[in-house]
Amino acid sequence: MDTVMQPDVLVIDDLQKHFGGLEIMRGVDLTIKQGERHALVGPNGAGKSTLFNLISGEHRPSGGRIYLRGQRISGLKPEQISRRGLTRSFQITNVFSRMSAFENIRIGVMARHGIRFNLYRRIKPMRAINDEAHALLQQVRLDHRADNLASDLTYSEQRALEIGMTLATGAEVILLDEPTAGMSRDETAYMVELIRQVTEGKTLMMVEHDMSVVFGLCDRISVLVYGRILATGTPEEIRSNQEVQSAYLGEEEEH
Amino acid sequence: MRYALIAILALLALLIIAPPLLGTGWQYALINALIAALFAAAFNLLVGQGGMLSFGHAAYFGVGAFTVIHLMQSVEYGDIPFPTVLLPLAGAAVSLLCGALAGFFATMRSGVYFALVTLALAELLHSLAPHWDEMFGGEAGLSSMRMPSLGFTFGSTLEVYYLTLSWVVICIGLLYAYTRTPFGRLTLALRDNEQRIRFMGFNAHGTKIVVFAISAMFSGVAGSLMAISNETANYSVFSTQVSALVVLHTFVGGSTIFFGPIVGACVLSLFTFVVSGVTHSWMLYQGIIFVLVMLFAPKGIGGVIQAHIEQRHALPWKRLAAPYALATLAGLMVACATVFVVQSLEIVLSREYAAAVARTGEYAPYTVFAREWQVFHPFTWLFPVLLLVPGLYLLRRAFARIQTLWDKDDDDDGDIAAAPRELMEGGH
Ligand SMILES: Nc1ncnc2c1ncn2[C@@H]1O[C@H](COP(=O)(O)OP(=O)(O)OP(=O)(O)O)[C@@H](O)[C@H]1O
Ligand SMILES: [Mg+2]
Repeated sequence: MDTVMQPDVLVIDDLQKHFGGLEIMRGVDLTIKQGERHALVGPNGAGKSTLFNLISGEHRPSGGRIYLRGQRISGLKPEQISRRGLTRSFQITNVFSRMSAFENIRIGVMARHGIRFNLYRRIKPMRAINDEAHALLQQVRLDHRADNLASDLTYSEQRALEIGMTLATGAEVILLDEPTAGMSRDETAYMVELIRQVTEGKTLMMVEHDMSVVFGLCDRISVLVYGRILATGTPEEIRSNQEVQSAYLGEEEEH
Repeated sequence: MRYALIAILALLALLIIAPPLLGTGWQYALINALIAALFAAAFNLLVGQGGMLSFGHAAYFGVGAFTVIHLMQSVEYGDIPFPTVLLPLAGAAVSLLCGALAGFFATMRSGVYFALVTLALAELLHSLAPHWDEMFGGEAGLSSMRMPSLGFTFGSTLEVYYLTLSWVVICIGLLYAYTRTPFGRLTLALRDNEQRIRFMGFNAHGTKIVVFAISAMFSGVAGSLMAISNETANYSVFSTQVSALVVLHTFVGGSTIFFGPIVGACVLSLFTFVVSGVTHSWMLYQGIIFVLVMLFAPKGIGGVIQAHIEQRHALPWKRLAAPYALATLAGLMVACATVFVVQSLEIVLSREYAAAVARTGEYAPYTVFAREWQVFHPFTWLFPVLLLVPGLYLLRRAFARIQTLWDKDDDDDGDIAAAPRELMEGGH
């Protein structure tokens, strides 16, 4: 994809965050373009999850601004940001464990249709909602597990369910925090294919440690080290970047 | 599902047909059981479905009760006309408002802090009420009289029973319908994962306030029915005992199943009615039941029933019959031993008995199970041991056998997880 011509969807401007005296985010500037798949990589503790927490509204920034399609979202609550079309998954599996896989997705579909305080209709005959939930379940290939409790799914199925839940809200910008963490090689390959399919036409930002996943899936990569963006560029640019080599990639590509 | 419907209709028919054949004592006990059932169902909306454990639900029960007493007084003095039949609507409305207000603050916190805030709010009312004469009638409380309405005089307990039954059935029906609405499903999602629903675009605080307020509203209906039945209310409706009792009913019945708390409330309040007429130790027995259920059937009576219904096709009933019979027998032995010890102690340690000993200088025989027992006779001590030890042994054996039979059936049929689940979680 020719990302250069695309408009900016997410703009992060001099973002800072400190917890007490601890500076975690030390002036991050980052621009995500419409329709790209953008990887965020960096060593453990670099602040990748914190950056996601700031973008999605879990934490308030200590300084700086975040814009979604030109509208400022920094300082808004998670539900407000979600309704503006940005949603996220979590590094740790985070589903409705005592509800069925189908219902997990359907809650997201309800959100997309703005069904929040509906106490006067039965949900069973709501065809549009139920059909949409089934379609999404099929899209993340969990239709055979529709009636199983989320807690009874395997780990990788739960991760797929998570992605289905983020899709269900109808978000155009999707943040995935380590969607393949802890998976076997086969599961990872399966998940990468799944992510590629379901994010078609959407904007994706994902944290990922597995470099083969990053280079295979993403259009652009940003390297976050110690609360700062060290470099942003295409996979080729990042691969050949000397600074990145020494700071991060070097250690990984030795073996 | 069809069997469930038939069972419910049969029960309903029984509740309509049977009471005229009973004495007023039992009619009154049934009224209280129905009220307790509605209160528990309303409470469980918050606890079981919303995942918010409140220790102060007496507040909303009591608000409903006092609202209705005030309104009944106004009707009695001819200030305003209001049909007796519709009184619970007023209790519902005021409890809804109070619930929304209290819920706004309480739901800012979760877990233990939420529980403490609800407890504090109820305690506030409980300590305020005896000193606020106009509102709560001081320590004595307020009284009024049921006025005739819609052709009913409400003079007899039976008429009050049918009024209560109608309201309880309608409200439990509405509470069940709630679980089938989109908001009902969202409530379950909230219980499972509040963070996630926020990131999906739902206002978690607002959702919790609405769940809290609706739970308070139905609790208010239960309180209203209590006021109508008793024609009086005083500050003790706000007491921690009332709040604790609904927790007890709910968890003995099973908070993970819609009908669990209803079953728990009916069973326990009828148990109390029967047992408290016989012994002063009824609270101890209630406590023992609670502890046993929590230890051995944490999903409550409802959970046990439901597990059997779900697996009715998979269970080897024929092979289970013997261990179930054995467990019943052994359970009875243990229960007899326990009751014997408790009743013996109740008599022997009583003040009257001590006085008699002081007066006559001898330990008179006492009566339990329609038989005389000597305090210092070895058999008196041996009797419970002879029941308890073999009873416990057989109970263990029976349960081990039951466990293997249930587990085996899990292996045979790996698809158990796909079987229909809890009624509450069920529908889509
Ligand atoms: N709420 C918080 N309070 C205090 N410190 C925090 C908080 N959240 C994160 N941190 C700290 O911020 C730093 C960055 O954490 P973060 O989880 O963002 O790293 P990460 O890049 O996602 O790492 P990983 O690859 O291990 O997931 C860590 O040192 C962490 O201890
Ligand atoms: Mg992280």
